[in-house]
Amino acid sequence: MRRLAIALGMAALLAAPVNAQKRDEREANVGMRARIEQLVLPGPELIAKPVDDPKAPILLRVVATWPHGDAFRYDLEYTGFVAGRHDLREWFVRADGSPAEGLPEIQVKITSVLTPLSIRPHELEPVEPPAVGGYRSLLVAAGIAWLIGLGALLFFRRRRAAAIADATVPPPTLADRLRPMVEAALHGRLDDARRAELERLLLAHWRERLALREMRPAQAIATLREHDEAGALLRQLEQWLHAPPSDAARADVDVQRLLAPYRDVHDPLDGASR
Amino acid sequence: MSDPKPSTGSSRFQETAHFLEAVRERVARVVVGQDVVVERILIALLTSGHLLLQGVPGLAKTLLVAAISKTIHLAFARVQFTIDLLPSDILGSEILDQRTSEFRTHKGPVFTNLLLADEINRAAPKVQSALLEAMQERKVTIGNTTYKLPAPFLVIATQNPVEQSGTFELPEAQLDRFMLLHRLEYLKPEEEKEVLRRNAALGIKRDGGGAVARTEFDVIDDEPVGNIEDLAQAMERVQDVFVSETFLDHVVEIVNRTRRHPALDLGCSPRAGIALLKASRARALIHGRNHVVPEDLYALAEDVMLHRMRPTYEALAEGQTTAGVLEEILGEVHA
Repeated sequence: MRRLAIALGMAALLAAPVNAQKRDEREANVGMRARIEQLVLPGPELIAKPVDDPKAPILLRVVATWPHGDAFRYDLEYTGFVAGRHDLREWFVRADGSPAEGLPEIQVKITSVLTPLSIRPHELEPVEPPAVGGYRSLLVAAGIAWLIGLGALLFFRRRRAAAIADATVPPPTLADRLRPMVEAALHGRLDDARRAELERLLLAHWRERLALREMRPAQAIATLREHDEAGALLRQLEQWLHAPPSDAARADVDVQRLLAPYRDVHDPLDGASR
Repeated sequence: MSDPKPSTGSSRFQETAHFLEAVRERVARVVVGQDVVVERILIALLTSGHLLLQGVPGLAKTLLVAAISKTIHLAFARVQFTIDLLPSDILGSEILDQRTSEFRTHKGPVFTNLLLADEINRAAPKVQSALLEAMQERKVTIGNTTYKLPAPFLVIATQNPVEQSGTFELPEAQLDRFMLLHRLEYLKPEEEKEVLRRNAALGIKRDGGGAVARTEFDVIDDEPVGNIEDLAQAMERVQDVFVSETFLDHVVEIVNRTRRHPALDLGCSPRAGIALLKASRARALIHGRNHVVPEDLYALAEDVMLHRMRPTYEALAEGQTTAGVLEEILGEVHA
């Protein structure tokens, strides 16, 4: 007896919170969710009827389902969109797809806190697009930019082509540079810097002429000094350009005779000295 | 430029030319096929420059310097540079005399006329720096006393182009102190054959009760062909060598081209131009001329300029060498 009392007490204690938490909200405002819990409905298992109509007044959701003897116990959640009384039975269907028949009435009341037609949406006023901006303006601007870019591209390509054409004009050859230098030397119009340049040009001329271009410069000049014709010229040049003014050998150098052969000099190798 | 006091026919000029020719001839009796190096050492001696020789071991560098020092009767010292060498090992130091209880100055091997600094890149930078300072200032401070180095004073340093691990490469600023950097090359086959022939004829020498094999050092003639006074006179004759304005234009043009060349990060300094001019004058004298000619410039450009030029990273990446760039510059001077 005592044991039975304890068991009943514990059952009562366990059942008490469940009953305390059970919600049975049969009234709700428009758009607000409400719950009906632990609702026992006879017959096979029920599910919420699929709603295809976007203007359906009620949206029902079966939150949880438990077997309850021959019936089932449900936790339901619903949202009403149209004020008035609604029967939730209409929004059930059997889990096997058969119609939900034999169910008791499940009345809920949906109320609206607003008076009917108290809020109207604003009327839309057509707005004219601004004069500058907008998609059309963007397209026009893009088109102008593309045309400018194309024009610039064509212009610079033409200039580059002109530059390349200019570059193809051959630089003066050794002979071209040498002839005026020799002419100036013969007329005594060469300063020291141009004399040095003349000497370099004559050395380069002989390097070309004796095909010593590939030889190291120090070795090439030593070879030139050994050469009969070039050596004689270089020694005379050295006397003229580098010997002390008081050196007797310097006075013996006949610049006219020395440089005369180079007045009408031509490139020894066609284009090699360019 | 300078007033041409001597001419090739002046007696003093002829005497100097004969003296220098005698030195070269005497050295050639001992060292085979190193005429260019002998010429470079003489140029360094005549212009108070210093010489850096770059080459693999076994190319008779020590023998060459020893031969020149004996030929001109110059004091000679050789220091093998190593990682544990200290500046005091070269410059000298103060030592406490136990008997007098006073400090006594011990002068290092730098107090000589010809100093062979063997494998200078093996010593720590502080030792290199100490030597290079002595080279520049020609005086050494030990304790509180400054001592002048003897005149002439020439450092001939060597460095090995291979086995670079554990070495301290001389930076550009210190390389610039060397007037010339000459790259030694192997002998030609016929010259090498002559070396072998001479070596085979050396024989042995009796020493006390035993005998040792004679070396090339034993055949250096102890009788000098001149002395320091002759060398000083030769140095005076170098100052008399005439330099034309045209030659100066050539020097300026070459040096300027190194500064403008796109493959070079660092071109030649004015010091390079001065060194080129001084060396050219000395070379002209050695070759018996009283004036410089472009050949002097081209012959010396590599030794004077190459170690003063630094290529760009881009040029290095493209496989260009400094020697190739200089060759291009000299070639352009022609054109």
